Amino acid sequence: MKRLLTIVGLLVLLGGVAVCAAEDGVTDKEVVIGAGLDLTGAVANWGVNIKAGMDAVFSRVNAAGGVHGRKIRLIAYDHVYQPPKAVTNAKRLVERDKIFVMMGHLGTPTTKAVMDYLQDKQVPNIFPATLASIWTNSGKYHVGDLATYADQTGLIVDYLVKERKIRKIASFYQDDEYGLDGHLAGKARLKHTHDLAYVAEVDYKRADIDFSSQAAKLKESGADAVIVQAVYREPPRLAEQCHAIGYNPVFIGPSPIVVAKTIELGGKHVEGLMGVEVYPLPTDPGAFLDQYRADMAKYAPSLPIDTTNLYGYQKAAVFVEAMQRAGRNLTRDSVLKAIESIKDWDPGWGLKYGYGGDNRRGMSNAGRLVTVKDGKWIKVGDWMELKEVGRK
Amino acid sequence: MTEILSSQVVSGLATGCVYALIALGFVLIFKATDVVNFAQGEFVMVSGFISYTLLIGLGIHYGLVLLATIVLSGVMGVVLERVVVRPIMDAPIFSIVIATIGASIVLRSSAGILYGYDVLPLPTIFSKDPIRVGFVQFTAMDAGVIGFSLVIMVALYLFFKLTRTGTAMRATAQSQTAARLMGVSVTRIFSLTWAISAAIGGVAGVLIAPIIYLDPNLGFIGVKAFAGAILGGFGSIPGAIVGGMLLGVIENLSGYFFNAGIKQVSTYILLILVLVIRPAGLFGAAPIRKV
Repeated sequence: MKRLLTIVGLLVLLGGVAVCAAEDGVTDKEVVIGAGLDLTGAVANWGVNIKAGMDAVFSRVNAAGGVHGRKIRLIAYDHVYQPPKAVTNAKRLVERDKIFVMMGHLGTPTTKAVMDYLQDKQVPNIFPATLASIWTNSGKYHVGDLATYADQTGLIVDYLVKERKIRKIASFYQDDEYGLDGHLAGKARLKHTHDLAYVAEVDYKRADIDFSSQAAKLKESGADAVIVQAVYREPPRLAEQCHAIGYNPVFIGPSPIVVAKTIELGGKHVEGLMGVEVYPLPTDPGAFLDQYRADMAKYAPSLPIDTTNLYGYQKAAVFVEAMQRAGRNLTRDSVLKAIESIKDWDPGWGLKYGYGGDNRRGMSNAGRLVTVKDGKWIKVGDWMELKEVGRK
Repeated sequence: MTEILSSQVVSGLATGCVYALIALGFVLIFKATDVVNFAQGEFVMVSGFISYTLLIGLGIHYGLVLLATIVLSGVMGVVLERVVVRPIMDAPIFSIVIATIGASIVLRSSAGILYGYDVLPLPTIFSKDPIRVGFVQFTAMDAGVIGFSLVIMVALYLFFKLTRTGTAMRATAQSQTAARLMGVSVTRIFSLTWAISAAIGGVAGVLIAPIIYLDPNLGFIGVKAFAGAILGGFGSIPGAIVGGMLLGVIENLSGYFFNAGIKQVSTYILLILVLVIRPAGLFGAAPIRKV
């Protein structure tokens, strides 16, 4: 009897070990991916579209049988661009839904709020939908994808000073981890490379929508260019309010402002607005973009093609490539290693993905300048490898 | 300096006028029925969507849209009073207030389900190009908002002072029992009060949505307007107007002299200060209790 008990006990223990060895969120037939997005708040346009873009890729892959026989299931919750809600959602995803990885988590302040938690639980934070430099230098569990806000701002500053010969530059930034990334990097770039400083540093709070006092301060500073570390609601409103007091500087900002919504809201006030693009425009040629347009037409017919859903689409495409490389034995470690193995990989649109190394956990550092002309975003520069710009 | 400051004051007044209109809606309902209607902000949001649908969806002329929006908002006020408030009129005031909060959540979510949570640009007839008068710089939009708000306020004043219905409404606000004894139909007055409040909210929506964009969360502007109403002395009509306008200007100036953080809390700092010094608000009558 005693022996029998020992055997049963051992079996239970072994069983326990066997259960522990399988990763959360991975079964023979399925992989469960989590995402925290803003679906109803101040940056809902980004959230809704990122989800649609990721869903389009996963739907196509699932229809073709999945990755190594596993279908991908995306569970996304709405955090309304509010850090406390992002934390609740992350706990729900990790502890109740047992997700394999977090992917495309939207927003810098919201993703920063769940950063430590994901790290404690050893859940990889793959390609969060925020290009703050923090994701490329925070260790094993975080991997960014495209050129960071810091590096993009480096490009902006160099362009303004060298090509436009503008020396009076002001910064208008969201007062949180998002706005500060580019704001501080721009300040450092001005000081170290050009021996200059911002002529005004003007902040706003997330979800603010009245910028008349900011416009007044910017006008008083006499800045010839204003770098807007903002999303899509702010640049049109700021431009409007600056124009209302007869102030017409160059407005230029990082990739989150480069969306069709900015133009829809701003109309003639955003003509000439400039931005940095870190992946091709949705209307560009290329096999990958043809597939994107076909997938969006099939799986998200109600949404127009836009940089926002392309952003989610390319994240999911790179992630699927990593899962292909990880093979049938899918673990958090194996998928992270697979991501790190990606070098010089072009899904078919001219933009190459390659893991930057442990000091720069990102997949691409390409960027180019774009501007609004006749109500459309068009390119003004060619692709270039952006230089790394520190925040100090 | 004076040039910039004066533009700040003008654009602050424009936002303040919208606060004042919403605050007026709060105060009218409160005076007549003792209920604080927390769905007041939602009148602003819903009217924004009504005019968006009429303008963009159906392509109707702007003037007609304006009129239709005001009428439809009024109807919404009456429906809300009938469906949500009247059945529980005998319940404690607190329950009614909670019911209005519930109504606001329902309205907000319905707008989200119908239109999505994305921000939409609402067209307007007022240009956003700069105008210069002397050294003051502002936009036609600012001037239009201020002018239109003032017209509405004057019209309301005349309505309350000169018409029989207006007098009946004032009478009901003073004493429901006495009004009833004088032959005033108090339930009809309640309906009318809600209709007027919602219609004013509708005007505020048409004026503010083109400025701060239209989305289902637009109704949260009601919170600031509520603060404006308290600032002026809750229950006082001139108080609501002055409180709302003051709020708009103070917000702008504090953002100009300090930063975005201070701008955000300036409203509430001011509110606390006023309540400490004058608990009844700027225009409110101190409560008199018979001992």
